[in-house]
Amino acid sequence: MIKAVMVMNTQGKTRLAKFYEYLPVEKQQELIRGIFAVLCSRAENVSNFIDAESIFGPDSRLVYKHFATLYFVFVFDSSENELAVLDLIQVFVETLDKCFQNVCELDIVFNYSKVHTILDEMIFGGQVVETSSSEIMKAVEEISKLEAASNAITLIPKSASGWRSR
Amino acid sequence: MTMHGMRGLSVFISDIRNCQNKEQERLRIDKELGNVRNRFKNEKGLTPYEKKKYVWKMLYIYMLGYDVDFGHMETVSLISAPKYPEKQVGYIATSCLLNENNDFLRLAINTVRNDIIGRNETFQCLALTMVGNIGGREFAESLAPDVQNLLLSSSCRPLVRKKAALCLLRLYRKNPDVVNVDGWADRMAQLLDERDLGVLTSSMSLLVALVSNNHEAYWSCLPKCVKILERLARNQDVPQEYTYYGIPSPWLQVKTMRALQYFPTIEDPSTRRTLFEVLQRILMGTDVVKNVNKNNASHAVLFEALALVMHLDAEKEMMSQCVALLGKFIAVREPNIRYLGLENMTRMLMVTDVQEIIKRHQAQIITSLKDPDVSIRRRALDLLYGMCDVTNAKDIVEELLQYLSSADFTMREELSLKAAILAEKFAPDLSWYVDVILQLIDKAGDFISDDIWFRVVQFVTNNDDLQPYAAAKVKEYIDKPAVHETMVKVSAYILGEYSHLLARRPGCSPKEIFSILHEKLATVSTTTIPILLSAYAKILMHTQPPDQELQSQIWAIFNKYESCIDAEIQQRAVEYLALCQKGAALMDILAEMPKFPERKSSLIKRAEYSEADTAEQSATKLRAQQQTSNALVVTDQYPANGVTLRISVGQLSLIKVPSMITTENDTSTDQALSQQNGSLSKVDPQPPSVDLLSDILGPFAVEGPPGATVQSEHIAVSGLEGGSDAVDGSAIVPVEEHTNTVQPIGNIAERFHALCLKDSGVLYEDPYIQIGIKAEGRGHHVHLVLFLGNKNTAPLVSVHAIILPPAHLKMEFSLVPDTIPPRAQVQCPLEIVNLRPSRDVAVLDFSYKFGTNMVNVKLRLPAVLNKFLQPIQVPAEEFFPQWRSLSGPPLKLQEVVRGVRPMPLPEMANLLDSFRIMICPGLDPNPNNLVASTTFYSESTHAMLCLVRIETDPADRTQLRMTLASGDPSLTFELKEFIKEQLISIPTARSPAPAPKAPPTAQPTPQIPPNDPAAILAGLLS
Repeated sequence: MIKAVMVMNTQGKTRLAKFYEYLPVEKQQELIRGIFAVLCSRAENVSNFIDAESIFGPDSRLVYKHFATLYFVFVFDSSENELAVLDLIQVFVETLDKCFQNVCELDIVFNYSKVHTILDEMIFGGQVVETSSSEIMKAVEEISKLEAASNAITLIPKSASGWRSR
Repeated sequence: MTMHGMRGLSVFISDIRNCQNKEQERLRIDKELGNVRNRFKNEKGLTPYEKKKYVWKMLYIYMLGYDVDFGHMETVSLISAPKYPEKQVGYIATSCLLNENNDFLRLAINTVRNDIIGRNETFQCLALTMVGNIGGREFAESLAPDVQNLLLSSSCRPLVRKKAALCLLRLYRKNPDVVNVDGWADRMAQLLDERDLGVLTSSMSLLVALVSNNHEAYWSCLPKCVKILERLARNQDVPQEYTYYGIPSPWLQVKTMRALQYFPTIEDPSTRRTLFEVLQRILMGTDVVKNVNKNNASHAVLFEALALVMHLDAEKEMMSQCVALLGKFIAVREPNIRYLGLENMTRMLMVTDVQEIIKRHQAQIITSLKDPDVSIRRRALDLLYGMCDVTNAKDIVEELLQYLSSADFTMREELSLKAAILAEKFAPDLSWYVDVILQLIDKAGDFISDDIWFRVVQFVTNNDDLQPYAAAKVKEYIDKPAVHETMVKVSAYILGEYSHLLARRPGCSPKEIFSILHEKLATVSTTTIPILLSAYAKILMHTQPPDQELQSQIWAIFNKYESCIDAEIQQRAVEYLALCQKGAALMDILAEMPKFPERKSSLIKRAEYSEADTAEQSATKLRAQQQTSNALVVTDQYPANGVTLRISVGQLSLIKVPSMITTENDTSTDQALSQQNGSLSKVDPQPPSVDLLSDILGPFAVEGPPGATVQSEHIAVSGLEGGSDAVDGSAIVPVEEHTNTVQPIGNIAERFHALCLKDSGVLYEDPYIQIGIKAEGRGHHVHLVLFLGNKNTAPLVSVHAIILPPAHLKMEFSLVPDTIPPRAQVQCPLEIVNLRPSRDVAVLDFSYKFGTNMVNVKLRLPAVLNKFLQPIQVPAEEFFPQWRSLSGPPLKLQEVVRGVRPMPLPEMANLLDSFRIMICPGLDPNPNNLVASTTFYSESTHAMLCLVRIETDPADRTQLRMTLASGDPSLTFELKEFIKEQLISIPTARSPAPAPKAPPTAQPTPQIPPNDPAAILAGLLS
């Protein structure tokens, strides 16, 4: 299963952190710091895998992908296939891209709730629930519509593309 | 940068971003939390929008690493709100902030259930997501049936059903009883007919979880999985949205192949054929392309296919195809593929018989050790470690040593540990082992843990031949100007003990050795100084004739440290100074350290621990565990019958075998495959760890408790309860039912007699098994270890070992595992207590099955009378009063023995000596007579002095007169008979001993010279 999904920037600031096994908040931060320390020391053009057992304990693997100023990090156990998880990161990023059009770090910062929603439609309790980014988008748009329809105060437009921040 | 959604949240995030430092951030957050707390106090005034805004703020704060310890009640209560936005926020916040043990969650169970069984799909999704993320046991019990209904419902949209599948998986993990196996298996199979790939993906994850616990129940799903895989691989009916870079749902392909790996085999020939066609297509049809994402996806599928092929034990041809692919991968440019290529090669070592093909890639793997990516270097190290065996140990270890100097800091510790373990496990000779470890200390002293140098000391102490070599080697190192402190420690220890063996070499006089060591004293820490002081004391003792100058130098040092603030150093200094002034007594007290009891290498133990405790779901590891013995498995060293051997990583570990494995083995025991997988049922605890330090660093320490395995179950065999009859009756009876078609190697009787005189060696050997033995005595206790070594690539099964003890011995024998895995050695400790003097012999009734051969042998155990003797030198002034006080029968017996094998007097003296009866020279004025003494230990006699006098006739060496005296009549008699037996006939291959009560039953046919040195080495390495 997938144990955690994290997005952090190249300064080590957390942009998203979701743990699928309960951990106290201090422990979460410790793990994030540990991972960042390893990630920031890695060169370009190396593999997307790092040794996670020293940070996360036995039977854990880590796959990350570096996009511009962000690291996307997935931690999982040996029941998952490493390259398939790497694909999953790609699906996640492509979905964000569809949602925000040329997604950048600030989109993720300010649309924190939206990013959460996307992740929830893709990973469910540590298991992958959907791998098709168009299906994920469909589900997210449905939720947005609902939010818009039932929320008189906010100015959320009817379609998700309206969530674009610029 | 505006945000349409929640203005307040955007403002808050901006504020946080504008904070200059952590302190400001904290202040801002505290302010916000105070604000949120206040607003929630007066909940009535909050609009749904505001609630939502505040909850997202809390989540954001939580993500930043601040504990949000309030609002739990509020978030949970939002779940029961009737309107969507509040409910949504309630569910999301609950699943982020709460864990399954939170009491508030209980309050929500009813609401959650209502949402699940309600008609509102959106609510269903919210509820399922929350339960799927944090649902606990209580949720499992009350919600599982409803979730199952949703999953199976034909009226539900795929969006809901795929979530229901994963929600059920979560509930199943929390409480496996919620899925009723009988009813569910058919439904699971039905679910696999699903056309919607989203639902199918989730269902496949559910299936993986179910079959990993119990594949038996889900056989009907197997052909369906193959069908799904075929559909995807042939790209039939795969909608565009599930095609990822031109590949039909790689994720589902991977999951399906993962599910297939939990079925031990595929019996149906047509299903198997279809699957292999698909796999073949994947293996052959995957190319490295330019697009990175496409590459990743296609190789995700390819690597999973490789894993499945390995699991299915495909035909040899397909296997070598796989290795060839992996060989290609480890050399490609794409780093991810290199990484996985190495990793999968390591896995391949574990599960199949392709080591020889993998060895062909050794050069490339060694190159990967220098890859720019540390992740790849680690995988290369793992692989080299796994593929190492006696044939390539030298090459690999030397590569590791070379790499050590340039390796990055983060890897050095692991690297040096692995090099040390390999050197120990596969040393072709011990001097090489010493070389390697010293090089390791030299190059990476900081990373050499104490266990590593303790181990060298143990080997050197236990192997006389090695001592001068090791002493000369450490001197070379310590001669260098800058040496690591660990090197000082090991050098001081070895030079202290053994430098006198070098005394004749240039530059190795005691004085010179002392000054080399003493130079280092100023540079070392307080833990090393005591070792140096011990070395000085020993050097001083070995200096013959005494050197006054050296003595005064050393005494001065002791003097100086007598008032040292460190208690340990002070004590050594005071004690050594006092001892040195005692003169002759020094010799006894500072005598050479006794041999260390054999123990399992703490290094190897450590390696095992790190491999052991993982609660595992992975198919490959499961297989590896199935191949692992439950007993202490250690490596063997000897290439048997020309077959090169290797030990897989898996076989080395002491893995706690999950109980589910036993059920798996019931399926098809007569199949070769399931035999391969081993049938283990019992798990032994780790042996207690032994404090090595106390043994090595305590110069006067009596040997510590033996580091033997104490297994959980002992069969206490008491010799007092008619055991004697058992021996006399059954032990001698040859086996009638089975004719042993297996011929033993070497002469069993000869091996037995050799072992009566020494402590370790081979007791029995045939083409399949070698039984080694190691004994270690202390008073009337003997601790004996049997080493059962399987020489084959197939396991030995139905292994039984029963000890038939004679009446005078009390024996405790641990259970022998039923199966000895391929190429593994199992240690079985045996505790023996001597109750009273007797010459009876214990018999080991040993049987095992190899293929269809049932082999049964009865072997005498060398726990004979002389093992309970302890040589003692009795001075004349004590000997004669004793001799006189034991005035005649039954305490003193005399007999004229005829038919003695003629031998010169010194030879006879040596013979007695080898029985631990010590010659006391000068007591008898007649040069043709021998006087000797010994102490006998048993529970009834305690330590009892025995005196022996043998008068020989130089004119007729075939007869002699022997007088025996001791304080116990039966001891006198038994010892007299014992010595007589030994003198009458020294057993040789041609004339087996006439007297022993339990003659060997198997036919001796020598094929290979006994006492294979490699086998003895293997015993020592254990």
